[in-house]
Amino acid sequence: MVAPLLRVRDLNKIYSGKGHRIVACEDVSFDVYPGEVLGIVGESGSGKSTVLQCLFQDVIPTSGSAFLTSFHGGERNMWDADRRERRELRTHRMSMVYQNPRQGLNLMVTAGGNVAERLLAADWRRVSDIRAKASDYLVRTEVPIERMDDFPAFFSGGMQQRVQIAKALANNPELVLLDELTTGLDVSVQAGVLDLVRDIQSRYGVTAIVVSHDLGVIRLLADRTLVMKDGHVVESGLTDQILEDPQHPYTQLLVNCVTN
Amino acid sequence: MGVRALIEERGAAFEGYTFGFLDDMAKREIRRAILKGVAIPGHQVPFGSREMPIARGWGTGGLQITLACVGADDTIKVIDQGDDASVNAVNLRRLIAKTTGARETLTTGDATLIQTRHRIPEERMTAGQMLILQVPIPEPLRHVERSVAAARAMHAEADYARMWLALYEDVVRNGEVTAGAGYPVMVNHRFVMAPSPIPRWDIPKLDQAETLFLFGAGREKRIYAVPPYTDVKPLEFEDYPFSIEGFPGMSCRRCGATDSYLVTSPQADGSTLSVCSDASYCDDVLGGRKVVNQW
Repeated sequence: MVAPLLRVRDLNKIYSGKGHRIVACEDVSFDVYPGEVLGIVGESGSGKSTVLQCLFQDVIPTSGSAFLTSFHGGERNMWDADRRERRELRTHRMSMVYQNPRQGLNLMVTAGGNVAERLLAADWRRVSDIRAKASDYLVRTEVPIERMDDFPAFFSGGMQQRVQIAKALANNPELVLLDELTTGLDVSVQAGVLDLVRDIQSRYGVTAIVVSHDLGVIRLLADRTLVMKDGHVVESGLTDQILEDPQHPYTQLLVNCVTN
Repeated sequence: MGVRALIEERGAAFEGYTFGFLDDMAKREIRRAILKGVAIPGHQVPFGSREMPIARGWGTGGLQITLACVGADDTIKVIDQGDDASVNAVNLRRLIAKTTGARETLTTGDATLIQTRHRIPEERMTAGQMLILQVPIPEPLRHVERSVAAARAMHAEADYARMWLALYEDVVRNGEVTAGAGYPVMVNHRFVMAPSPIPRWDIPKLDQAETLFLFGAGREKRIYAVPPYTDVKPLEFEDYPFSIEGFPGMSCRRCGATDSYLVTSPQADGSTLSVCSDASYCDDVLGGRKVVNQW
């Protein structure tokens, strides 16, 4: 039995203000095993992105615990990390691909520079090595190498997304988080990006969590899937199983929508 | 020598002023900031920058440090871009001398305390001397992080990836790190520091020096320090090493020196004139005085 890479237990994120209390996600627990892709699917507002933001610590959860095997031997709750440890988690152990490339990329920095940032954070200090490695990642994600020293601000949406994926892969993070990575793209580009991610995943055995509202994306990429609704996980299991034999009424609805 | 004695000796120009212009609490606060800065080399210490009788940006930070440190038996020198005789340098020197009774000098070796803008003297400074640099922008991360709070967090976490990224981008675009004045340095293997806009030529002098370097930014309200015998290394890539400016085949038109930082100015007839940036070094060479300029 392989030990999970990541264990998340009882994750709660509650936004409370004057007289109101918004539950973004409640009692979310799951494991991610090395080399697998976990899908999280749900409608808008179901809390799936909140889970991802909590994992990448863009958002600090209200309560809950998450243990990453390589972080203090899986003994220490990731959300108790101090600032320095949090930065270390974000730059060396995990990476995030945002729905909007503007969030994940610095558009004022060249495509190569964006990828190089994670290498520089890992103390790479030789420009030729950095460029070789960065171009290697850009080739993997099919960004034309002659555009390496151009600014992503001038790239198409699909290419920006591919640069973002290259950046996320740089320095070999243990866990890649993908948030709605095809949502902002047109259908033909979507297919290309999905193929790319699947190809990279199978070739390099990246462990990833994929969040999407699109069952097609989940079907293509995820080994196992959590279905979320109103901040709760309503169903979880192997992706095939969930798609072929949904148990929860909401999942049935979701699957029906796609097949019809 | 107190101000009372100064008044008796030199007349009424000192009436109404405390010793060293600043009041005692101000001097105490600035000295505390300096001590903290010395204790944490390269770390920017905030302080309550005072209104000074010169405009912000004209060296108020350096002047406040000088006035907080100077004693009546000190000998002071003030340089502005290497020049002792510029209006700014002369006025600062006069203010310091008038309100403290400190002696004035133009000779680097004679000074106990030197306030400077944009240059470190050519002559090697020794233990017991103090160099006070005027700083316009104390935050080396200013260009890569606009938020002051975020930049301070980056210092606290020693997170300089963005700084390195800026250097990488510079190399990619220009084939080298182009920073001319104020080349970023790593102090004591911990803090990235803005060395004030000194030329690259002066950067190696900061490393393992015998002298105490104090940096004052009046407008930005920051003081920081490089104590003697501290490692100060320019940020560099292994394959794009830091290098100082060279003046191949050039010499000072005035004193003939080939081993000093030269400034070049265009002449009316279309030619250029190169002379030592450090005027007192130039005078020393002309006067035949032996000067150690190996830092």
